Amino acid sequence: MLERAVDVRREVVIGAAVDEVWKVVADGARQAEWFPGMVSSQVDDGIRTIVTAVGGFLMEEILEVDHEARCFEYRITGPMHLDHHRGRITVLEDQDGARVVYEQELEPKALVYVLDAAIGDALDGLRDLVLDGRISRSFVAVDDRSDGPATKGAA
Amino acid sequence: MGRGILFVTTDQQRYDALGCNGGAIARTPVIDGLAAAGIRYERAHPQNVVCMPSRATMLTGQHVRNHGVWMNGVPLPAESATVAGLLHDAGWRTSLFGKAHFEPLLDPFLRFPENRMGVTGDTDDGKPHRGFEHMEFAAHGSGGPTHYGGWLRRNQPDHMGSFFPALGIDLEVNSEGGGESGAPQVRHNPVPREVYHTDWVADRAISWLGGLDLDDDWFCWLSFPDPHHPWDPPASELHRVPWRDLDLPEGYPVLQAEREAAIDAKAAHWRHWYDGTLVTNFEAPPRWVPATLTTDQVREVNAMAHIQNELIDEALGRVLAVLDADGRGNGTDVVFTTDHGEFQGDHGFLFKGPFHVDSLMRLPLVWRPAPSRAVQPSVVSEPVGLLDLAPTFCRIAGLPVPEWMDGEPLPMSPADAGAQGRQRVLTEWDSVHPGGAEVHLQTITRHALVCTRYEPGTCHDGTEGELWDLDEDPLQLVNLWDDPTRRSLRDDLVGDLVDALPERPRTPLGLEAPV
Repeated sequence: MLERAVDVRREVVIGAAVDEVWKVVADGARQAEWFPGMVSSQVDDGIRTIVTAVGGFLMEEILEVDHEARCFEYRITGPMHLDHHRGRITVLEDQDGARVVYEQELEPKALVYVLDAAIGDALDGLRDLVLDGRISRSFVAVDDRSDGPATKGAA
Repeated sequence: MGRGILFVTTDQQRYDALGCNGGAIARTPVIDGLAAAGIRYERAHPQNVVCMPSRATMLTGQHVRNHGVWMNGVPLPAESATVAGLLHDAGWRTSLFGKAHFEPLLDPFLRFPENRMGVTGDTDDGKPHRGFEHMEFAAHGSGGPTHYGGWLRRNQPDHMGSFFPALGIDLEVNSEGGGESGAPQVRHNPVPREVYHTDWVADRAISWLGGLDLDDDWFCWLSFPDPHHPWDPPASELHRVPWRDLDLPEGYPVLQAEREAAIDAKAAHWRHWYDGTLVTNFEAPPRWVPATLTTDQVREVNAMAHIQNELIDEALGRVLAVLDADGRGNGTDVVFTTDHGEFQGDHGFLFKGPFHVDSLMRLPLVWRPAPSRAVQPSVVSEPVGLLDLAPTFCRIAGLPVPEWMDGEPLPMSPADAGAQGRQRVLTEWDSVHPGGAEVHLQTITRHALVCTRYEPGTCHDGTEGELWDLDEDPLQLVNLWDDPTRRSLRDDLVGDLVDALPERPRTPLGLEAPV
């Protein structure tokens, strides 16, 4: 459960079956396929490691995957230091398909605006993946991965 | 031989950084020489005192309310018309080297094209970006998605960690101190001078200029990230300005009581920031308390900034020497300025924020017209703004100034300024902070009078203001806002301000990052 007031909240309605959307959201290792700016997302023993397109990474602890409530909860644990973070993605029934609500709470709040805009992009990406099979711009399949971000053409 | 416009900007540089403006510390013979041969402006103001809104004004020639970038973290809309686009469409070759900051820098998910270009090393976005056919970015150090960071990682990987990290591990502006005085954002940087970003910016511009045909018309924005904090110039250069030898700046009241009385004469948020009880914006370290600033720290920060100023002057000199050597210098206009100023100890502060005083608003601005035009050197004291730059570039290129630009070409003499009816320049600030603070300022500068009104926010009820008479009080210590003998003057200035400012947009652009 989120512990404080939500700092960031976005939602999207996807014209697809709830279970189809939840199947993607519930698989934490697939987040990079729909979250623009993530190259990869790998889950090992409840810890998710995300490589970002900017060349950094995020460590996250998956707190709960509740298939009954269709709710996925996690927290960022590093390498940046946040005094507090919780993220929650909930997939709800909607008359037009599935309503996906993405919420985060964080302290300090320097990243509020960054995360607000990013999860807006991410929900668009989730819709594109579910409806059209389109993966996000930054995702690199395992077989195509190198050690870091592309560095072509630089002086 | 083609025509050229070399647009040179620094970041967060004070008016008195230059010898030609009376600065007595940094040696800036190159810029001083441009001023002696051209036009030096004594009262040039930005339309906003932080990077993104100010840079958007430079690129568009518009007031903040018209380009919409009301605060750092608001990206300039991709479809915004720019002077670089006009020049490109007119057949000019266009480039930018160094700090752009038309889009947020804090972008971990690479949402913005400039940052994606910085990571991939691409020099365009598949097409000219904002009118620039070639862009190579640098920011304040090795971090962040920039071409400079990638170049440093490949060529000097051992120095990736040499720079002061502008942001802390919590992604807030780093409050740590360093150097010999413990001043915030100061570090003795072991990076060799030749790989420091100032010289890299000049090197990349020289390379691009060398690839042009001599008959090409070109516009090159040479955008040095310094002397913006962090103050971490190469340690090899520290001998240039020994900080212990510096006098304290004239604008720093040494006596605590005097300093605090002057702060208390200003609007309430000055004192709140000084005491460390208020953070209004992302431009200064949130855990640094200005009241703790020591005289040694003021000296050391000043020394570091002036070293950075000298390096910029020398790097610019290298670019100009290349143009002179191949004959293009004679047909090149050079415009030098900055996006906003820096306290550097004035009033007891460092950094910047919602404070409309000369430290942050009075900018260096020099225009050296192409020598082939034989323009008479001049000094203009009438108020001008950064919104006048884009129209000036149009005028130099022989293009009509489009109606969407709010500025007009810079005057080339006092007589020219008189003919243009130059009376005022406007500066505004709007900010919201995730911590809750909301601040709104609007300022009119009319010759020696500077008048700021505060709209209601979390710190102000809308009745506060500041009125300075720079002829009587150049250090801005005596606030005349509540002086009954100046009431009619204040009302006249506020009325003029309200009449001259454009309307706010009905729907403000979204804030997408803190910076």
